[in-house]
Amino acid sequence: MLEKYKTQFIGNSIQFVVLDEKGLVRESDNTCFLLKTGDSLKEFHPFFESLEAIVPEANNEITFNCIHLESEGKELITDLVLRREDNALLLVIYDLTQHYNEYQSVAQARNESIIQEQLIALKNIELEERERFKDQFIRNFSHEIRNPLTSIMSLTQVLSQTDLNAEQEQMVQYLNQSNAQLRLLLEDILSISMISSGKLQLVEKEFNLIKLLNLLTFTYTAKAKEAGLEFVAEIDEKLPQIVASDRLRIYQVLTNILDNAIKYTETGQIEFSVQLNQKRANKANIRFEISDTGRGIPEAQLESIFTSFTQVYDKDKEQGSGLGLSIVKGLLRLMDSEIQLTSELDQGTRFFFDLNLKYPLPSSQRTDKKDEVLDTVVRKTLKKDKYKLLLVEDDVMIQTVVFKFLSGTDRFFIEIVSDGAKVMEEVVNTQYDLIIMDINIPNISGDQIARLIRDFPFKGIKDIPIIGVTGTLYDEDIAAYKAAGMNAIIPKPFAQEELLKAVFRYLK
Amino acid sequence: MQKSKKVLLLGHFGVGKTSLIRRFVSDSFSDAYKVTIGVHITKKVVDLPSGTNLSMILWDLEGTDELHLIRNAYLMGTHGVIFVFDVTRPATFQNIQRDLDIIKEKVKKAPVLIVGNKMDLVDPADVKRLLDENDIDSDYLTSAKTGDEVNEAFLEMASQLDA
Ligand SMILES: Nc1nc2c(ncn2[C@@H]2O[C@H](COP(=O)(O)OP(=O)(O)OP(=O)(O)O)[C@@H](O)[C@H]2O)c(=O)[nH]1
Ligand SMILES: [Mg+2]
Repeated sequence: MLEKYKTQFIGNSIQFVVLDEKGLVRESDNTCFLLKTGDSLKEFHPFFESLEAIVPEANNEITFNCIHLESEGKELITDLVLRREDNALLLVIYDLTQHYNEYQSVAQARNESIIQEQLIALKNIELEERERFKDQFIRNFSHEIRNPLTSIMSLTQVLSQTDLNAEQEQMVQYLNQSNAQLRLLLEDILSISMISSGKLQLVEKEFNLIKLLNLLTFTYTAKAKEAGLEFVAEIDEKLPQIVASDRLRIYQVLTNILDNAIKYTETGQIEFSVQLNQKRANKANIRFEISDTGRGIPEAQLESIFTSFTQVYDKDKEQGSGLGLSIVKGLLRLMDSEIQLTSELDQGTRFFFDLNLKYPLPSSQRTDKKDEVLDTVVRKTLKKDKYKLLLVEDDVMIQTVVFKFLSGTDRFFIEIVSDGAKVMEEVVNTQYDLIIMDINIPNISGDQIARLIRDFPFKGIKDIPIIGVTGTLYDEDIAAYKAAGMNAIIPKPFAQEELLKAVFRYLK
Repeated sequence: MQKSKKVLLLGHFGVGKTSLIRRFVSDSFSDAYKVTIGVHITKKVVDLPSGTNLSMILWDLEGTDELHLIRNAYLMGTHGVIFVFDVTRPATFQNIQRDLDIIKEKVKKAPVLIVGNKMDLVDPADVKRLLDENDIDSDYLTSAKTGDEVNEAFLEMASQLDA
């Protein structure tokens, strides 16, 4: 009875073989493999050929786990036990195929997933490295290209002041346009590389949303008019006035879309609408919408207009379609939003997105308070009745804005110079109390002028406060401008409040 | 003369130990990965210029990065070791010095060949630089897939075992 059960259990899985000293089979029960008396195990399977070397090193009994044995089409995974008996060798073959196959599938899954992980980690390192290289390359490249670009631009400027016939004048004008385009492109590429490399960090601060929207309306009404278009702004009265977010980035997003709309609209109007979706707790969800009556975007291109410079030179794509929209997309993603659009060919395009903006509670009194603070600052610090300011700026729009901002206080005489080369002369001839200087001006850059002023041998000139105005996004640049001798840097676009604060801070 | 030598293939899993043996023994290759468990033993007889008829008993061990855990029974009577790493996966060669020390400790007198496999997947110049950086002195850089340097590696082992 017991024997019968035992055979049922282990009968098919254990084989006993007795061998002589030469490794020839004396007896075998042939449970797993067929071995005849006199067979050489070496011939049966190469495992046994290596025993010659193993046996002398082994003790009386040795066990081998998980040995694959195959013979005459039969393949088993076995444990083998070899035991030395008086002038004979006992070999026990345990057939553990089923058990080991289970182990095999576990090992298979484990190894595959570990290898996969290693390869993915490696890919990521490689991608990161490539990305880093690309960023570095773009930075170096755009830095290097700035100098030749500057000389091309200033030479164009010089050229335009010589005697030109009508045809030449036209060509110089085209040159100027191309230069401006090139500069924009360069800045766009830098922005994209910063967004994609994650180097761009949002700076959340409280600011006056309504003022920003008004500034945009003011600026783009003029721009649209210049392009023969109408500009319609609809700003929701229920919008919170003060919000906390990155003002510069919101400005960048909106100007990119607005510029784009003007560029692709020949006739009709640009509509700029900002509406409150809802207020909850201290967050306002706001819908920004810009629609034009332009040529529209073919359906096939709806996706690709947001892709960045790797694809932008697609030959089907309009030349100069720019990188603005991919910047928009990247910036909005940073702000947890997404740009959306609908477009109909020859009817127009509508871009829109929603932003969740925090606003402080209670909302309404704060601006007034700020204005009061400003007023007291103004009153306290002013010693003179009127101050002489020099504005170094070549952009007529900005000239107008600064003029508007400052003239309200009725405390300034303002002189404007738009050519970097003429600044020193002006500064030497007139005793200015403060200079507001754009960094990017023709012929000599603002930071270079600042350096010249600081190196000037006379008091009253070398210590004139200089406030730099710049569109740059880089902390390094801003540090460099300060190192050049500028007292403060105001990023474009700026609000009246910011400008006045800076001006009054440095007036003596 | 007729000799029989036991050769172990060691290295992390998935580096191509089984594939190298398959290329050497039956001149074939498969892209599919079947994890080896325990040990597979095959044999190839090579005729050496010395006149020796060398029977290489190739022990294809389950891959592991913990060489110190390899069962003693597998190591006994070993005449030579081929340590294989995968040139596409630094994890398989980053601790090669430690791995080799363990091997030397376990199989004292046996010659050890170091083989970097899967060369068909990479730029040789990149690999050379990577190996230099990691101070790795490989004996052969092979591809089981194309067969490149495979016979050379095994035959070098054979002739070292003949000496
Ligand atoms: N491209 C390429 N693939 C290879 C080469 N050698 C092996 N492989 C592939 O790598 C995987 C693993 O190969 P194996 O030979 O099974 O590796 P192993 O070292 O025996 O792995 P374990 O048995 O788990 O230790 C398989 O998918 C092979 O097809 C090679 O030279 N080139
Ligand atoms: Mg294997």
